[in-house]
Amino acid sequence: MQERSIYWNPILERMPREKLQELQLRKFKRILRWAYERSPFYRRLYREAGLEPEDIRSFEDIRRVPKVEKAMLREVQQRPPFPYGDILTVSLEEVTAFRQTSGTTGTPVYQADTWQDWEWWSECWAYILYAQGYRATDRVFIPFGYNIFVAFWAGHYAAEKIGCEVVPGGVLDTQARILKMQELRCTAFMATPTYVLGMAEVAREKLGIDPRDLGIKRITCAGEPGASIPTTKRRMEEAWGCPVYDHIGATEIGAWSYECTFQPGGLHVNEAFFLVEIEDMETGELIEEPGREGKMIITAFDRLAKPCIRFDSKDVIRWADYECECGRTFRLIDGGVIGRADDITKVKGVLLAPTAIEEVVRGFPELGDEYEVIVSKRGEMDDILLKVEIRPGYEGSREEILARLRDQLRLKTNLGYRIEVHPYGSLPRYDVKAKRFKDLRKRE
Amino acid sequence: MEERLKEMGERIRELRRVAEELKDIGGDIEAVRRNVERILASVRILELNICDVEDLERDV
Repeated sequence: MQERSIYWNPILERMPREKLQELQLRKFKRILRWAYERSPFYRRLYREAGLEPEDIRSFEDIRRVPKVEKAMLREVQQRPPFPYGDILTVSLEEVTAFRQTSGTTGTPVYQADTWQDWEWWSECWAYILYAQGYRATDRVFIPFGYNIFVAFWAGHYAAEKIGCEVVPGGVLDTQARILKMQELRCTAFMATPTYVLGMAEVAREKLGIDPRDLGIKRITCAGEPGASIPTTKRRMEEAWGCPVYDHIGATEIGAWSYECTFQPGGLHVNEAFFLVEIEDMETGELIEEPGREGKMIITAFDRLAKPCIRFDSKDVIRWADYECECGRTFRLIDGGVIGRADDITKVKGVLLAPTAIEEVVRGFPELGDEYEVIVSKRGEMDDILLKVEIRPGYEGSREEILARLRDQLRLKTNLGYRIEVHPYGSLPRYDVKAKRFKDLRKRE
Repeated sequence: MEERLKEMGERIRELRRVAEELKDIGGDIEAVRRNVERILASVRILELNICDVEDLERDV
């Protein structure tokens, strides 16, 4: 009985690792053959590499399969059929849903899904939500603008599949959303970490409501790494008085990883539905050992209309050197997505990940939730400007706070910063994904 | 568990067979064809959850 209460599918989630790997190999061969036989894009890619589906017999052989990069997905969109290109494995008549990437790193990538794919998307999310304690007794509020971005769409359908009552908080503004959650006594919601903190601030400061009094029992985050950054996670959990869980997914991939209620410090990879490989960022060597950071290459085994096979996601992750007490045999990645290979940048000759700055800033309870980092050139030298807000009541300790902040930043990032204090509430607030890190050197 | 897995696998295959037969009988009735397509999408998810594992057990 205990098992039923915490696993969506104990057969897959507790599968012995040897069998799980055998299953992964079979499923990899299946999706590769599917794509080779039906997608002109994949067939060209593999033929140019001299690869036929029957060449894949082992995990070592998988390493020979060419990787797919986002630029290739953008390029293929220029070919017919409009608007997806000849990567499709099905006819346009079979496509039932359009989504697109946010376009933060360039031209948006269009994603085609059949109804079968959409069932699969929501199944991936069902694994996530069930592991995070969502049950049929939950009333789940989903405060995002239901639109062309996939965001929490599949979360909505998965919550329904689990049996939750779903309240779509689409076009309401933040105050109206909070009041609706209060009125309906919602027990859970899903949002980006930025918006989880933003809603708490609006509740407290505009409505005079302590978010902890709203009775929210669990929150699921997506879209940003915050729920895996310990200081940001703590901030959110303290603000709402409940656990905040992370999950990772992407439009082109699917929802591939999740934190469970045991919160071991890492996220389970749904290895029954995805193959995650970690590659050394410089040598391309496969990383199997825990603790070593690398770039993720991912395959979605069961996504059919627009397959995702060995996609170079640019996400930087590392395997955990600990296990989760929940009993799932799915491997853990430590601390979620650490950064993106194209976000980690050299400043003053030192590698800097924006998440490291977030971890430091959010560790100061005297500072507001918002901050901004601007990297630019001052003459020949790199310059980092950090803008922060000091919470009301702490202005008198300003110099002491800033001295500690400088020390912590130096300790965690090996870099010196110019720090500007802005009036509380004056830095930009975001509803979805925040843009707090700006590297102006690329434009200069 | 193996027996249960086998039994579930048989029932899922039966669901697919019956749904496909219904689709054939429905012919050009869109209300049948489209709703069966949706049922088959759910059957596929059951296959991913159960039949893939059952196949693996059987072959091993």
